[in-house]
Amino acid sequence: MAGFADLNLPQGADKKSLQSLLEAAAHLGYSAVALNHVIDFKEKKQEIIKPVPPSELFPSLPIVQGTSKRIKVLTRLTLVVSDPSHCNLLRSTSANIRLYDIIAVFPKTEKLFHIACTTLDVDLVCINVTEKLPFYFRRPPVNMAIDRGIYFELLYTPAIKDSTMRRYTISNAISLMQICKGKNIVISSAAERPLELRGPYDVANLGLLFGLSEGEAKAAVSTNCRATMLHGETRKSACGVVYTVKKPRKVEEEETAVPACKKAKTQA
Amino acid sequence: MHTQPLRGRCPIRAEVAQSPQGPRAPSGHRRWTGHRRQRPPRPRRRHSGSGCAAGAGGRDLTARPLPGPPRRVWQLPVGGGGGRGGGGGGGVRRAGSGMQPAQLGRAPRHLLVCERGHARHPRSRHAAHVRDHAYSCRVSFLIPECGLLPEVLKSTIADIGDYYLVRSLPIHELVAHEFIDAFVKKGSCYALTYKTKIDQDNTAALLPNGKLILSVDKDTYEELGLQGRPSRYSGKKVMRYIITIDLTDAGFHPESKKHNRVLWALKEKKPLEFDFLMAWYNTGAEGSTLMSYFSKHQIQALRPKITFSTLRDLPCPVLQSNDLQGKPEESCSTEELFEWLGAVLNQVSLDNKSSSFLSTYCCPEPNTVVEKAFLCTITGFIIPEKIIQLLEQLCCYFGEPKLAYWLTLTVHGFADSPVSWRESEHGFHKGGENLYNFVIFRNLDYWLQMAVGAHDDCPP
Repeated sequence: MAGFADLNLPQGADKKSLQSLLEAAAHLGYSAVALNHVIDFKEKKQEIIKPVPPSELFPSLPIVQGTSKRIKVLTRLTLVVSDPSHCNLLRSTSANIRLYDIIAVFPKTEKLFHIACTTLDVDLVCINVTEKLPFYFRRPPVNMAIDRGIYFELLYTPAIKDSTMRRYTISNAISLMQICKGKNIVISSAAERPLELRGPYDVANLGLLFGLSEGEAKAAVSTNCRATMLHGETRKSACGVVYTVKKPRKVEEEETAVPACKKAKTQA
Repeated sequence: MHTQPLRGRCPIRAEVAQSPQGPRAPSGHRRWTGHRRQRPPRPRRRHSGSGCAAGAGGRDLTARPLPGPPRRVWQLPVGGGGGRGGGGGGGVRRAGSGMQPAQLGRAPRHLLVCERGHARHPRSRHAAHVRDHAYSCRVSFLIPECGLLPEVLKSTIADIGDYYLVRSLPIHELVAHEFIDAFVKKGSCYALTYKTKIDQDNTAALLPNGKLILSVDKDTYEELGLQGRPSRYSGKKVMRYIITIDLTDAGFHPESKKHNRVLWALKEKKPLEFDFLMAWYNTGAEGSTLMSYFSKHQIQALRPKITFSTLRDLPCPVLQSNDLQGKPEESCSTEELFEWLGAVLNQVSLDNKSSSFLSTYCCPEPNTVVEKAFLCTITGFIIPEKIIQLLEQLCCYFGEPKLAYWLTLTVHGFADSPVSWRESEHGFHKGGENLYNFVIFRNLDYWLQMAVGAHDDCPP
């Protein structure tokens, strides 16, 4: 069982509100959160900006309640795609995309859902909870996504705000459960205010309403989030096996370095 | 003075708390007298609390899986249990669904084991049960019809002793042979990590029999390099491992390979550091104390917090010591007593006022209203030896004639400790309770109730 994580905290412009959100999350017991930057292609062409490292945004991170560790903050990018041409951004080797820890995609049509599950290089596929799903889920793309290690994300904050959205959240979640059988689900908030955050055990109980079993519901807030974060990390490496780290070069060593063959002769 | 001869073994294991409708009830009882070491039922998807019958929670008889290969059949609950969620709103397909709406009405599995016996019987196991439960964070006792605490009890409570909080102690210090010789081999040493969650972080515990238990997550286990076994409550994808190191083992002397490997793993490969709560029960041997041994680290001696209160006009259930089930008009059953005691210790009001939104709980019938009752709560890191002394003094309370028919002693274990009773693994699902409760009667009969939550073995 991993620490609890909330992978969707919208990154507003206000630093103070973000700080209060972080403190609320740490107080509730989350060990990791991800600040979400949403790019919607329907609006005028938006540039993907470099993510600001959390250490610069927050000089001191709050301590998670009940432990003595500080909360971990990651960066996440969500692309809202409604057209196949929008996916080209992901395929291109844009430098800025690589800098985000987690990449998520929000498909609006069935064809895009299929593409996201089968070919796109993402960590999370967001499921719409605010309106009736325009398409039914089908087994082949969902199973392919599960095999590839992609997780489906459900939000719970819209359900807190409005009762119509509550019905859509539950019905969309249940129809997803019938296809994926409760595997590879991540439940997160999209809380803009600290009042909309809920504790991890409460969110796990909410998962029971969606049709998950007890173990799966708890995993949706802990183990699956950890798996998503690791999936994002492997994008910065070669197949998740080889990592490269930049080593600072020491200039003095360069000048006084003696070739190995010469060294042996002088010592002898 | 008990009149009924006790049959067979001294403490009669009378029942395991059963679900209200359970057709499984008789078999649940038989199962546990015979097979103590049985594994807990794995939390299966379709129904909870199988095997060891779970208490409470409305269980629907129809919502059980059909025998044979598991088929996903949509079963409609009989009493409309739980909510159907948004079933009306979205187009929920019926055929081949894996979800059973009756699951919503169920609580996670929990167990209550009730036992009775006589405190002065030579084969009574009350002290053994207390000793098996190593880590207790809260002890409270309730004495009806008592306004002032007797002096003997007051001095026993004051004698509970200090416990120590050591900050940032690297765990290889507990494996060092100086520590083992000074504390583990002489007397009983108890240590538990402080402010670590059993279902999220790494945890360590030192049992009085010399075993060091490390409950680590997957990443730490793979980096540490010591052999352990996967946790039972971890599911298909194992995320937690339990490593047990026997410090008093003959093969663990300073020059052995085992010792070197453990020391290398904990010191160099993956140094782990925790805040520890420690206590040591000294069996009279002279030597250094924990305070002096860990003087280089930040060690603090702490005294358990003690609170006294007198409750007025408290309705108390009527109990018969030889009848655990209770008779409808004559006495209350153990489950009812357990629930009532929980309400009293949590200061829940028992009068069921119409204006109260919090609780509609009433004291079970039959009950008597007691003019005053004494409640004492001790919070801290309390070791079993002190609890046994307290239990003895409470038994001696009935040495002189008293108005009260019974008194209770409740001990709560830590929710985040890696072990509950003996070395059986303890996990935290939605609640990590592991507690036991003694009810001691005038004639020195006792009832012992042991309760555990979802990710826990059945208590011994």
